[in-house]
Amino acid sequence: MRMPLTEETGQGGYLEENLSSFCFLLRNEGLPVGTTELIDALHALTRIDSTRRMEFKAALQATLVKSSRDRAVFDRLFDQYFVPAEQHQMRSELLERQKEKRVRSIDQASSDLQFKGETLQLNPEELYQYSALSSDQRDKLLDFVTKTEQGKNVQPRFRPLLETVVKSHLRYCRNQDDRVEPGKGISGSGQGAGSGGPDELALRDVDIRTIAAADLPAAEQLLQRLSRKLAVKLMRRRRYGSRSGPIDLRRSLRDNMRFGGVIFNIRRRPKRRHRQQILLLCDFSGSMKRYSTFVIHFLYGLREVVRDLSCFSFSDRLQDLTPDIKDRVALKIMLDRVVRRSKTWGGGTDIGCSLEDLRTKHAGTLNSRTTVIVVSDTRTVSLNAAYRELSLLREEVRRIIWLNPLPPQQWADYRSVELFSETAEMWPCSTIAQLEDILIGRL
Amino acid sequence: MSLPDLRKSFDRAGYICDEVTSLTVYLALELQKPLLIEGAPGVGKTEMGKVLAELLDTDLIRLQCYEGLDETKALYEWNYQRQLLRIQMDRELGEGKISEEDLFSDRYLLERPLLKAIRSEKRSVLLIDEVDKCDPEFEAFLFEVLSDFQVSIPELGTIPARNIPVVVLTSNNERELSDGLKRRCIYLYLEFPEVEKEVRIIKAKVPGVADRLAWETARVISRLRQQSELRKKPSIAETLDWVTALVSLNRTRLDGRTVSETLNLVLKNHADRQVFDLQLGERGVEEILKESGGGGDICGCR
Repeated sequence: MRMPLTEETGQGGYLEENLSSFCFLLRNEGLPVGTTELIDALHALTRIDSTRRMEFKAALQATLVKSSRDRAVFDRLFDQYFVPAEQHQMRSELLERQKEKRVRSIDQASSDLQFKGETLQLNPEELYQYSALSSDQRDKLLDFVTKTEQGKNVQPRFRPLLETVVKSHLRYCRNQDDRVEPGKGISGSGQGAGSGGPDELALRDVDIRTIAAADLPAAEQLLQRLSRKLAVKLMRRRRYGSRSGPIDLRRSLRDNMRFGGVIFNIRRRPKRRHRQQILLLCDFSGSMKRYSTFVIHFLYGLREVVRDLSCFSFSDRLQDLTPDIKDRVALKIMLDRVVRRSKTWGGGTDIGCSLEDLRTKHAGTLNSRTTVIVVSDTRTVSLNAAYRELSLLREEVRRIIWLNPLPPQQWADYRSVELFSETAEMWPCSTIAQLEDILIGRL
Repeated sequence: MSLPDLRKSFDRAGYICDEVTSLTVYLALELQKPLLIEGAPGVGKTEMGKVLAELLDTDLIRLQCYEGLDETKALYEWNYQRQLLRIQMDRELGEGKISEEDLFSDRYLLERPLLKAIRSEKRSVLLIDEVDKCDPEFEAFLFEVLSDFQVSIPELGTIPARNIPVVVLTSNNERELSDGLKRRCIYLYLEFPEVEKEVRIIKAKVPGVADRLAWETARVISRLRQQSELRKKPSIAETLDWVTALVSLNRTRLDGRTVSETLNLVLKNHADRQVFDLQLGERGVEEILKESGGGGDICGCR
C-alpha cells in the first residue's frame, strides 16, 4: 500500500490523483467504484468545506459507497489513507523506526543462521520471520542448525538440504500463526450480532468452517435474519399492471357486451405464478458438517412460509428430515436427531446411493416445480454412479443448485466438480455472504 | 439553499437528523442527483421525501413500487376509453374530422408520477418508494429517467424535464439493487436513532410529552431494538404512536406494568411479544428504567 496521504496534501493540487488512488484501493477491496463515482466525489468536494474531516468523509461516503455492507471497508480504508497531518508525521516516524528495526533483525538473522561459515540462502522475508519467532522457537531452530553443523561427516554441500528444512519449519510456524484460535473468534467478545455492526460484517465473509464457537450465536442470528429476508422475497404478493399478461379474449368480450361489443375494457390473463418447492440435500460427512448445518439453519426459517420445503441429510444413505420440519421441531433438536439416527454421521459420502434413495423412495417430492439445493464438496465414492443418478434427477426437477464449499481454484483438481457441473448450477459457497448471494439473489 | 440553512430547515420541520444525513441530502440537491436511501423499515426514509417537499415548498409526487409495476402505472397511459368515446361521437355526429394527431394529444394522455414530475412547472420532489420491490426490468427503465431526466413517448417524441425534480428513492434492502441504478444515485444509509436523538424526535413530534417519559420510552425502545430475536424492530413511527398513547393516558413516566399493557402499540407480532416476555418482561423493564434514572438528570428533568 502507498504511504498514507494527508487531507492537506490533497488540497495542494493533487486532489484528483489522491482520490483516484483511493478509488483504486476501494476497487481492490471489491467496491464497485467507477469513473462516474470518482467524478461525483470530486464535484461533491467542491461544494463542502473539505478542511472539515467529517464533511470530507461524509461527501466521499455518499458518492463512493453504495451499499451498507461496504461501509465498514470504506471506513477502514479512509482512516488508513486520509490521515491527519500530526498522525501522519507520527506514523511516518514509526514506519521509519520499524524499517530500521527490520533491517537490523535481518542482519542479525543472517549472522545467526550460518552453516560451515556460510550464511544460509534465505530470502529477507524468511530471515525476518526467523527474527520474529518466539525466543524458544528461535533457540530450537538455531540448536538444530548448530547440531547439524557439528554432526559427523557433514559436508558443506549439505547446505541446500539444511536450507530446505529451515524453510519448511518457518513455513510451518507461519501456518500455525495464521490459524484462528479456537474460541477467540472475530468479535473477540462473543456478543450477539447487532444490526449490521462490524462483527456481523466480518462474519459474513469468513469461511463458515473457521467461525469460532464464540461467534456461532451471532452467526446463527445473522442466518435467521437472512432467512426472513428470503421468506419475504418468496412470499411477496404480486399486483399486475394493466399491460402485463396476454389478452383474455373471452373475458374481454363478455365484459364488453354492455358496450355493444366494442372492446372498451381489455381483460388480461394474469401470469400464473407457481409456488416454489425447495428440496434441500445436505452432505453430513465429516468435512461438510458445519456447512450443511449453516444451510439448514438458513432455510429452516422458511418452514412457515414455504409449504413444500423438504430436507434430507446424507452421507452414505439418505435420511428424511422433512417430518421434523413439518412438526416444527426446534432446529437444535432436529440436528441432534440426525446424529442419533445415522450411524455413519460424519463419515464417508456416497452421493450416488443417496440420490438413488431419493429417486426411488421419495419420488413424490420431485416434480417440474422442485428446486433441488445440494450442499456438498462433490467428493464421493462411485463417481460414475453419482453422475448417472444426478443426471436422472435433473430430468425430474426444475433446477439443481449445487453449493460447493471448495474454493473455485481447487475445482479443476476434482473430476467430480467437472462432471456435476454439467447438470447442476455449481456455486462456490463457503461464507455466509456467498450463501446470501446465491439463495436470495438466485432462488 | 446552503448546508447550514438546510440543517436549520430540517430542525424546523421536526426532522431530527445527524450531520452526515443533512450533508448527504445537501450534496444530492446540489449535484442534482437522485438520493437513494436504504435502512430498516421505520427509520424515516419516506419521511425524508415528504420533509424535502415541505422544505422546498413544492409538490410531492409519489410512486409506490410493487412487483409487476410497469410503465403504464409509472409513466403514462393513453386514455383508451376516452379515445373510443371520441371516435364513436365523431362517427355518430358524422363529422369525420378526427385525426390521429387529435387522438394522441395531451387531452388523452394520462400522466403517471414519473411523467408528472418531469412535466411539472416547478421543481417537484419525486418519491420513488420501496424501489427494491419492483422488477429488475422496471429498475432498468428507471435508468433513462434518472440519468437524462427525459422520457420517450412514441406518439409525442422525447419529453425533457422542464425542471429537474428532486428524486428520492427508498429501499428496505430486501434485494440488492443493480449497480446501474446505484451508480446514478447519492447513497444514504439510515440507522435507528441513538437514545438521545430519539428523545429529541419524540419531543419534536409529540407536544406536551414529559421529559422523563420521553427519555424512558426511548431507553426501552432502544433496548427492544437490541433484541436480535425480534422479527420486527420497533420503528420511529411506532415509538411516536406509543408515546402519544401514553400521553393521552396521562402518563408522565413509565413502569413495567404500563409497558406490558401498552406494548401492543410497538410489538405487533405474537412471536415478538413472546420474545419480550421471555427476554425482558416487566422486571426487565423496571431494571432498564432504574438504569435510566440517570437519564432524567441528563435531560434535565426531575
